[in-house]
Amino acid sequence: MANCSKVSRRNFMQQSALWAAAFAGGGALVPGVASAARDKELNILCWEGYNSAQVLDPFRSSTGATVKAESLTNDPTMINRLRAGETNIWDLINVNNPWARKIMYPENLIKPIDRARFEPYFGKMMPAFNAPYKWAMDDAGANLLGMAQRFGPYSFVVNTDKISRATAEDQGWDLWNDAANDKKYGVQNSDDWNVFDLCCIAGFDPFREHTEEDVAKYTDAAKRVFKGARMVGDLATMNQALVSGEIDFYLTGGTYSCSPARADGNLNIRAITPLRGPMEGGKGGISWIEITSVVNNPDLSTHAENFLEYVQSPEMSHTVAFAEGTFNPVTQMGNADCFKLFNKEELDIIQWDSLEEEMARSAEYDIVPDYDKLLDIMTAAKRETSGG
Amino acid sequence: MAGTPILQLRNLTKVFGNFTAVNDIDLDFEEGEFFTIVGPSGSGKTTLLRMLTGMEFASSGDILLRGQRINDLPANKRPTCMVFQSLALFPHRSVGQNIEFSLKMKGVDPAVRKARALELMLQLRLPETYYSKNVTKCSGGERQRVALARALAYEPDILFFDEPLSAIDYKLRKTLEKELKDIHRETGKTFIYITHSLEEAMVMSDRIGVMRAGKLVQVGSPQEIYSAPQTKFVSEFIGDVNVIAVTAIGAASLRAAEFATNLKCLPVPAGFTAGYLVVRPESLRFVGSPGETDNCLEGRLYNEYVLGSRVQYQVRVGDHVFIVEKLRQQAFGGHRDDKVLIGWDAEGSILVTD
Amino acid sequence: MNRLFKTFGPGPRLAVPIMLFLLGGFAAPLLAVIAYSFVPARTFSLWQKWSLGNYVEIFQSSIYISFLWSLGLAVATVVILAIVCYPVAFGLTRVFGRWATLITLLFALPLFVSENVRIYGWILFFIKNGVLLGSLKSLFGFELESIVFTTGLTLLGMVYVYLPFMLFPMTLGVSMVPQQTRDAAFDLGASRWQVFKEVDLPLSMPGVVIGFLLTFVLAVGALAEAKVLGGQRVIPITHDIEIAFTYAQNWPLGAAVSVLLMLVVGTLVLLVLRRFDLDTIVGRR
Repeated sequence: MANCSKVSRRNFMQQSALWAAAFAGGGALVPGVASAARDKELNILCWEGYNSAQVLDPFRSSTGATVKAESLTNDPTMINRLRAGETNIWDLINVNNPWARKIMYPENLIKPIDRARFEPYFGKMMPAFNAPYKWAMDDAGANLLGMAQRFGPYSFVVNTDKISRATAEDQGWDLWNDAANDKKYGVQNSDDWNVFDLCCIAGFDPFREHTEEDVAKYTDAAKRVFKGARMVGDLATMNQALVSGEIDFYLTGGTYSCSPARADGNLNIRAITPLRGPMEGGKGGISWIEITSVVNNPDLSTHAENFLEYVQSPEMSHTVAFAEGTFNPVTQMGNADCFKLFNKEELDIIQWDSLEEEMARSAEYDIVPDYDKLLDIMTAAKRETSGG
Repeated sequence: MAGTPILQLRNLTKVFGNFTAVNDIDLDFEEGEFFTIVGPSGSGKTTLLRMLTGMEFASSGDILLRGQRINDLPANKRPTCMVFQSLALFPHRSVGQNIEFSLKMKGVDPAVRKARALELMLQLRLPETYYSKNVTKCSGGERQRVALARALAYEPDILFFDEPLSAIDYKLRKTLEKELKDIHRETGKTFIYITHSLEEAMVMSDRIGVMRAGKLVQVGSPQEIYSAPQTKFVSEFIGDVNVIAVTAIGAASLRAAEFATNLKCLPVPAGFTAGYLVVRPESLRFVGSPGETDNCLEGRLYNEYVLGSRVQYQVRVGDHVFIVEKLRQQAFGGHRDDKVLIGWDAEGSILVTD
Repeated sequence: MNRLFKTFGPGPRLAVPIMLFLLGGFAAPLLAVIAYSFVPARTFSLWQKWSLGNYVEIFQSSIYISFLWSLGLAVATVVILAIVCYPVAFGLTRVFGRWATLITLLFALPLFVSENVRIYGWILFFIKNGVLLGSLKSLFGFELESIVFTTGLTLLGMVYVYLPFMLFPMTLGVSMVPQQTRDAAFDLGASRWQVFKEVDLPLSMPGVVIGFLLTFVLAVGALAEAKVLGGQRVIPITHDIEIAFTYAQNWPLGAAVSVLLMLVVGTLVLLVLRRFDLDTIVGRR
C-alpha cells in the first residue's frame, strides 16, 4: 500500500512538472496578443483622494469609461511599479513634485502633455504656480510634464494646548534635540519624510550631497529620535494620540496629516512650519506639491489628458481638496471662482490663515542624493532601539 | 453458593433529574463468585456498575466493601477495577505499558513492573514479543486479553466487566466467554459482569441478577433463572417462550380467556390470582389427538426455521403465535397451513406474575 | 493533446485546475521571491548576475534583532495561548455542556471583524482619555498610566487575535480523547493530574500541535499588532520586509529576508512535525 502510493505520488509530481512547463510556455505567448485601443478604461495610480467616488463618479458617468484608481501612501513604491513594467497598465500617475522632472521623465516613464492645452490653467492657479512652473516642466523647460493641484507644508504637528504655535515655530527642529521632550512625541511612519526631518534635526539640508560628518550626526539623531519616541505609527494613530494627550507633538506632519483631526473640531492640532532651519535660504520647513503626469503607456487610454483637464474645474478642484480621508489646499484656490466654494470651516481645516507664509518658509520636496543610505541607517536605528 | 459477602448494596438508588436510573437495590456479592447483572439497555445496569466502581456516586443508599462504607470513595481510591465496553486501552502506549499502567501510577520500579506484566501476559496467553507491540496493532481477542491483564495488574479485590464482549463476533465471543470463566477460576477473584445477553450470563456466571427499569427483579443461579423465572419479563428475557395470559380457577387449573379454554398446571402458588403461563418451545409438541398431553390447542402451521441442531415451528392459534422447537432428528413433517394440534404437559409449564 | 489526456487518469486530469491555481497563486510568486533574493540590491530585474550579496548584507546588519523579536513574540504568544486555551478547550468539551455552542460562538465572533478594525478598537479603548482610562478618570477620578504603545500590549494583542486559531484545533484535540479511556486511567488508580498527563495530554496532542503550529506560523508573520498597538517600539521581521518593499524599494533585500524567514519557520515546523508524527496520531482515529 505504502509502496503503491509512493509511485503514484512520483507520477503526480512528474505530471505536475509537465503541466507547469506547458503553463509557462503558454504564458510567454500572452504579451504577443494585440490589444484594442483603450477608450473604455482609465487607470490612475495616486495618493488617496483621487480614488474617491466623489472625484471619479462624475467622470465615469460622463464618459462611460471604467475608471480604476489605486491609492498608495508613498512615492517610491509608485515609481517602482512603473519601473517594474507597469507602464502598460497605468495612464496617470500622481506623486510629489521632484519625481516627474528628475526621475520619471528622464527614465521615460511618463510623457509630456499638450502644453498649449494645459498651460493656460497654470495662469489661474495661485501666483507661486504660474507658468512656467518649475516642477511641471522638464529640465530644458521645453515640455510640460504634468499638472499641479494639491500641496501643503509638511514638517511637524503639535497640540497647541501643550506647546504654543509661537514656541513651536521658534524652537523648530530643536524640539527633537531637547532631551526633556523624550516620550512626549510620536513619529509618523512616513519613512521617506522622516529621513528629511532627521537631516533637519541633525542640522543640515536633506536635499544636497552629505559628508561623512553629516551622516554621523544623522545617525546619532536617528537613534536619539527613535529612542525618545513615545511611539511610531500611522497618521490616524498620531492624531489619536495627540488628541487624547498621549503625546504633545509628532514628527513629519502637516496640513495633510492633521486635517482629519482638525475636521473633527480639534483645531488645537496644528501643522507647524519652523521659522528657520538648515534648508537653502535658511528656510525652516519642507513642502510638497503633487504633480499628476501622463504615463508613457504604449497603449494610453484616450481619457488620460481629458481627466487631467476635468480635475482643473473650480468645482472638481474643491472636490479634490475635500475628498474623503484627508484634506488639502489646491493650487486652483488662486482662482476666485474656485476659492468661493470653500467655506470658513474648510479654510480652517487646511490652515488657510497661515498657508502662504508657511509655504514661503518651506523648501520644496526634492530628491535626497543619498536617500538609500540614510533610510537604511534610520531603519537600523529604529530596529536597534526597539524594545528599549 | 454460601460465603462471606465481599460487596453489599443497601437501598442503592441513583437519580438523574427526575429519572430514577437505579431504584432501591439490595444485593450481596459473595467473595470469589462470578456474578452477572443482566438487563436490556436502559435497565440501569451500567449506572449501577458505575456506582460500584466509583465513577458515579449514589443518590441514596450504601455500598459496603467488606463491611466498610465506600459510597464516596472515588474510582482511583477503590480496590476494584473495571474492563470497559470499548476496552479503553491507551492507544498511544504499547501492550506492556498498558498492562503496567496501574503499577506505574503507584510508582513501582520499572523492572518489577515489566516482570509482572510478562507474568500476566503468560497467564493470558499473550506472546512475550507483544510486550512492546503497539496495542492498536493487536487483534480483537488480543486486545481483550490486554485489557484483562491491565485490570488484573491492579490486583483488584473485585473485577468489573461492562459488556466487554458485546462488539465481538459470535465465534470469538464464545471462546472468550470460556476463557474468562477459566481466568476466574485461576485467579479466584470476584467478577461482577454486566451484559444484555442472558445467554452470555448463563455460560459464565455462578449467579445472575436480572434488572428491569432500575430494579433488580430476580437473583439466582443460571439454573434457577432458567427453570424458575418469577416474572413474565425474566422468562421472556431468557429467549423465545410462549406466554399465555391466565387466571387461577382451581388448585391446579387455569382459565385462558384468549383461547376460551381451561388449562392444567402444577399446583397454583398461594396468593396467585392472575398472571401468565410460560411454556418453553421445547416443552411444546405436535400431537395426534387432544388426549396425548395435559393441554392441547389447535392451530395452523405457519412457517418452519432450521436452527442448526434444532428446528423451530411457528403455529398460529387465532392471532397468537406459538413457537415449537424440536431436535432435527425428530423434525415434524407437516406442511404450511396444515391444521395441527400442539400440546404440553403441566410439568412443562411455569406460572409467573407480571 | 489527446494522447496526453489519455495517458493521464481522471485524477490528475481533474486536478489540473487546482494545480494551475496553485502554480500561479503559490509556486510562481514563491519562486519569484526566491529568485529576487539573489539579484543585486535595489534593482528590479531578474535577468542579471545573481549573487548571495543580499544574504551577506543581512548577516552583517542588525536584522537579527527583528528576527529575535518576531520569534520571541511568536513563542510567547504560543505559550500564553497554550496555557489559556487548554482549560477553555477542556471546558468546551467536558464541562460547559449545552453552553459550549454559545461560548464557541463568542470566541469565533471576532473573526468576522477585520483584524485592523479590532486593533484600532483596542487603541481607542486603552489610549489615554480613551474608553477605559477616560471612564476610570471621569467615574472614579483616578488616572492610570496608559499601556498603549508598549511591547506588552503588542503581545496581548497577538494573544487576542490568534486565540481562535489555538482554541479550535485544541478543542478538537481534547474532544478526540474518549471519555472511557480517561475513566479507565482513573479507575486504574491514576490521580486527576496523572490522568491529564498520561491520557488527556498525549491523546489531545494532534489538536494541540496543530494549534501550536498554526498560531506560531501566524504569529511569526504578525505585523499589525507591533505596528499599531506596540507603537513600533518593537520592529518585527515582517515590518522590516515591508519597509524593504516600500520605502526602501529594496526588493531583493526584502526577498532575501522573506526567504530566510521561510527557512527559519519551515525548519522549526519540520522539527516539530518530526517529533509529533501527525499522520499516525490523527490517522489512527
